[in-house]
Amino acid sequence: MKRRLITYMALPVVWCMVSGRISIGSIFLGLLFGAVVVQPFNKLYRLDEVITPTGDWLAKIPKKFVYFYVLIKEIIKANIMVAKIVLQPTINIKPGIIRVPIRTRTNIGITGIANTITLTPGTLTVDISDDQTALFVHSIDATDPQGIRDSIRDDLEKYVLEAFE
Amino acid sequence: MVNVFEILSIACLVIGVIFLSLGMIGLLRLPDVYNRLHATTKIGTLGAFGVLLSIMIQEIGNSGLLPPSPMGIKALTVGLFILLTSPISGHMIARAAYKMGVDLCEDSILDEYKGERKD
Repeated sequence: MKRRLITYMALPVVWCMVSGRISIGSIFLGLLFGAVVVQPFNKLYRLDEVITPTGDWLAKIPKKFVYFYVLIKEIIKANIMVAKIVLQPTINIKPGIIRVPIRTRTNIGITGIANTITLTPGTLTVDISDDQTALFVHSIDATDPQGIRDSIRDDLEKYVLEAFE
Repeated sequence: MVNVFEILSIACLVIGVIFLSLGMIGLLRLPDVYNRLHATTKIGTLGAFGVLLSIMIQEIGNSGLLPPSPMGIKALTVGLFILLTSPISGHMIARAAYKMGVDLCEDSILDEYKGERKD
């Protein structure tokens, strides 16, 4: 199945959610707009590429829910941590940029781990190395770089690997 | 009349607004662009989520879960898009700042990205 067809089928759903009305009429309107929207993005998203959805993707849906649960937990922890730092009378931080090797290889996996790192406590993805094997992560507390590498590998990357690869 | 949905909705709104104002204080107090991004990406996400969750709860209280009300669905959609785009924009700003030559603040103790910088 070509990616163009999958995108075309997904766009009416997005339209229904954005317009807020779920009805036959708005699905048709979404199909109409979708036909116009898909065409200009042909080159950008390689819509002619043939992809085969496998049962693997469906089997990983429970893992995706586990990933979202972990993500929301980490976001709340991150917010409390930043709030604590911000409310200190004198800001006493030791930031730095750390190179973190990653095991994910697919594009979606790397996107997932990069976004997860940004939303978790004290870390912010800055860039990816040229060979896509490591991320550069800005940390608000860089006194223990190895500890941060270990915590990303064990606590976050595990769930991303299970959910997206 | 005060009901459960109203109380929950107001609680979510208050939490969201508190976190958003903390994010703004962080934006003013933290030393350099990278640390400021910590405040805006993380706190902005949860703060906006709190406000949108409050809208969703309010709408469920007003018109029930089924059929879903247009405003509730819109709030959910906006929340999902913020969850996807907020870290990406933070990442883009940090990378652009580094490539433009913005240095890390004086308190920084480590920079393993230095050798990789391409001008």
